[in-house]
Amino acid sequence: MTDMAHPAALVTWGGFVLALVFGAVANKSNFCIMGAISDVVNMGHWGRVRMWMLAVAVAIIGASLLQLSGLVDLSRSLYPRPTLPWLSLIVGGLCFGFGMTLAGGCANKNLIRLGGGSLRSLVVLVFVGISGYMTLKGLFGQWRATLLDPVSIDLAAFGLASASLPVLLARLTGLPASTALMVTAATISLALLAFVFRDARFRRNRLQVASSVILGLVIVGGWYLTGHLGYGENRETLETVYFATNSRTLESLSFVAPTAYSLELLMLWTDKSLRVTFGITSAAGVVLGSLAAAVATRRFRWEGFASLEDLCNQLVGAMLMGFGGVTAVGCTIGQGLSGLSTLALGSLLAVTGIIVGSWIAMQWLKRRL
Amino acid sequence: MEFNREFDASGMSCPGPVMRVQELLGGMQSGEVLRVITTDPGSIDDMATLAEASGHALLKHASENSKFVFYLRRA
Repeated sequence: MTDMAHPAALVTWGGFVLALVFGAVANKSNFCIMGAISDVVNMGHWGRVRMWMLAVAVAIIGASLLQLSGLVDLSRSLYPRPTLPWLSLIVGGLCFGFGMTLAGGCANKNLIRLGGGSLRSLVVLVFVGISGYMTLKGLFGQWRATLLDPVSIDLAAFGLASASLPVLLARLTGLPASTALMVTAATISLALLAFVFRDARFRRNRLQVASSVILGLVIVGGWYLTGHLGYGENRETLETVYFATNSRTLESLSFVAPTAYSLELLMLWTDKSLRVTFGITSAAGVVLGSLAAAVATRRFRWEGFASLEDLCNQLVGAMLMGFGGVTAVGCTIGQGLSGLSTLALGSLLAVTGIIVGSWIAMQWLKRRL
Repeated sequence: MEFNREFDASGMSCPGPVMRVQELLGGMQSGEVLRVITTDPGSIDDMATLAEASGHALLKHASENSKFVFYLRRA
């Protein structure tokens, strides 16, 4: 192994191990953001939303500490960039939310289900990958780039270096950047923790509490891995680069574009310009982590499509998820955990779109049932 | 186990079964039992959550011929 290859190998293998943990824990604890929204909308049950919010709080605290200690520069990630493509974030979020509800789960949930033996999820993921790739580089990408992305706000024109809540607070109050970050991260995470632990049933559920903390820590681990350990000088070009990420900047977990890049790598394996990346190994890691948990808990079970209607719903849902996940710059995990941990304004828009899209799909399903 | 009504949700994905089950239970008399058949593994957790959230009793659940069977008693 050459010196140059070392950070890339660290990032890809590290991403695999982090995702292995993520997949196993998510399988064991039934972590599912679509399920969380469904529980609230259909049953008024907030348990899984509390799981999600606890993971977000842990991720915000961890990511902010990494930022404050100077170990990573989150402003260079995709989420808080100063040009805010608000229409893409909202439309992409709505499509993703609607699609994941039709498909019975988001991209992450389908990776987890695949590990649990669902061949139905394998087909869903192939279509998520195709649609995602079409949105990155194909026909859908042309629509995205010409119709949606240009509708944006350049926050740099308003003196904001990045589109995040701490930067907005610093601009409005004149606080130093680090103080604004501390104030924002502390306020939001404490509010989330208060909401999460207000419920006695949730406090007693050690599996859900521990799982949420671990899932949040995995997101922090992703930032540290790609943003610190994987950041360095390329000995060939003498440029300082982020090694082994598709976005060429620091990343944490996200699953739509990585599913598309996984398909690309498998189909164009002999193209030497393509590399195994953090996103690709993390998608594989979630599947294998989930497989390990499913086997260990004896919940592994082969599953296929049950009906033609089921197949249609899943395929339409998968196409919407692929388009929406790329257009909104992330999925329920990419924007809903990794993005929110950066306190990016765009992540709030995208996640709102996902929740609303899922709610609309549930109302539509109710009428059809 | 005896039941008053049956709903076969085979082929339906989450959140479809739980949405329909909730609607059906809403139209039943208190104490009546609904037998539900699903193929979606997610329904195991969904039915338990439904029972916890709504007060209906999940009397029994079992796996039969690659399907899941639940008995829920209306609160």
